[in-house]
Amino acid sequence: MLYNIAAALICIVFLFPLYWMIITSFKTELEIFQTPISFFPKSINFNAYFEQVREDYNIFRNFLNSIIISGAAMVIAVALSIPAAYALARFRFKGRKLVILSFLITQMLPTSLTLTPLFIIFKNMGLYNTYLAPAIADATIAIPFSVLILRTYFVTIPRELDEAAKVDGCNVFTAFVRIMIPISISGVVVSIIFSTLFAWADLMYAFTFINKQNMWPVTSGVFNFMQRYGTQWNNVMAFGVVSVLPIILLFTFLQKYIISGLTNGAIKG
Amino acid sequence: MSFQNIDVMTLNLPHKEFVGLGNYKGLFADPLLGTSLYNTLYYTVFSIAIQFVIGFMLALFFNKNFVLSKKVRGLILIPWMIPATITALVFKYMFSASGGIVDQILMDLHITGGPVEWLLHPVSAMWSLILTNSWIGVPFTMIMLLTGLTTIPSELYESASIDGASRWGKLRHITLPLLRPSIEAVLILGFISTFKVFDLVYVMTKGGPVDATETLSTLSYKLSFSEFNFSQGAAVANILFAILFVVSLAYLKLVKEDEVM
Repeated sequence: MLYNIAAALICIVFLFPLYWMIITSFKTELEIFQTPISFFPKSINFNAYFEQVREDYNIFRNFLNSIIISGAAMVIAVALSIPAAYALARFRFKGRKLVILSFLITQMLPTSLTLTPLFIIFKNMGLYNTYLAPAIADATIAIPFSVLILRTYFVTIPRELDEAAKVDGCNVFTAFVRIMIPISISGVVVSIIFSTLFAWADLMYAFTFINKQNMWPVTSGVFNFMQRYGTQWNNVMAFGVVSVLPIILLFTFLQKYIISGLTNGAIKG
Repeated sequence: MSFQNIDVMTLNLPHKEFVGLGNYKGLFADPLLGTSLYNTLYYTVFSIAIQFVIGFMLALFFNKNFVLSKKVRGLILIPWMIPATITALVFKYMFSASGGIVDQILMDLHITGGPVEWLLHPVSAMWSLILTNSWIGVPFTMIMLLTGLTTIPSELYESASIDGASRWGKLRHITLPLLRPSIEAVLILGFISTFKVFDLVYVMTKGGPVDATETLSTLSYKLSFSEFNFSQGAAVANILFAILFVVSLAYLKLVKEDEVM
């Protein structure tokens, strides 16, 4: 019992900033700057949410951008890392360890290091100001992570399965598509989730590679808000609530995968 | 790139002027580099220390079996998943002097006399960042250590109890040694992700006040994209990477000892 109470208290402390974000989003401009500050809004006020959808600014536009960018990043990352991880897990070839090592190291690259070179490359390739630029950049973060995660799944598949598949008339490719991928589907799900999450949370790439406000994703969209209207905290917080909502939903449904991805990827990768 | 001279004027030229170590010389002459390095280290060391201590205690706590354990564990992980930009905004608001909840609570407890501009004083701005970062980092540390704890067989604790080991003795002689791989992983991964911090600082303080929270990655960004001195920005990023590289090598060595690749 004592433990439960303590746990509840810990939970409250940790989730307080989130509570505060939600509460503030329901307050009026006036109530925010009143002292003493109220812990519950005096009346639930949806103005801040209506502010998200207006003629010159629409959060759904940013949402759509975020979905396009993180979707594209996810597809690129997963499509490239599944075969890469499979090869690294199944086949022994020269330089295999070096490749794994290089994936580990790229995972540790600071964003600011890749930012300028990518900026120049994208500019020369004509990708500057397209969705593809941040998508590719986000994929470069997601790929090493996904490869390392997926590899741990592929490694655990016994080799006898390959042989059984061969007997049944599969070649390497069909065995890979029909048997290996379905077996390690939870690994694939983990890599899909994390690729999407990485891209969704990205601010720096989108901010740098796109300078049109109507193409910014959710994370940079909030700046659009702050610069133009000053810092109206209730609007900003409403914005936060709306943009965090999909993540919390994702989390509640896929918690198992996320925790396993987090611990697998981090300890072994 | 860090060995060339690249700015707005020369960015689109096919051949960039090679300046050797010129960019690095320029940087080392600038006291800002030293300040940023110091700030980054200060920020990282204190963040990691706080995260580790709290995360470790929470992990031990949630390793016990009780009704709410699993539920709360999951809920606490949410802060880790929120984009850093949003986290930074929420904390920026909580720390602000007009309407900030932190001030309100401290004044109610009579710890401070009046509103304080937390993000406008050098020391408190840095500590605000550290606290915010810990909010994100503690759940991560906790989950990692928790998975480490679940791998320790409970028989060990039972036999230790029979041998009359105290709680502290069990913690010191069973938990800590067996948890070593997880602890190392958490510390080093934490170091790497904290050391390259960008979003938090950029949103909350932009490196101010008076460079008090300028870190290597924000400095690199500022040089590249505000002053358009791309090559100096790249040079700073390289310094940052060199430090991380050394740390990662140390980590890889540890991982290799623990398991065969």
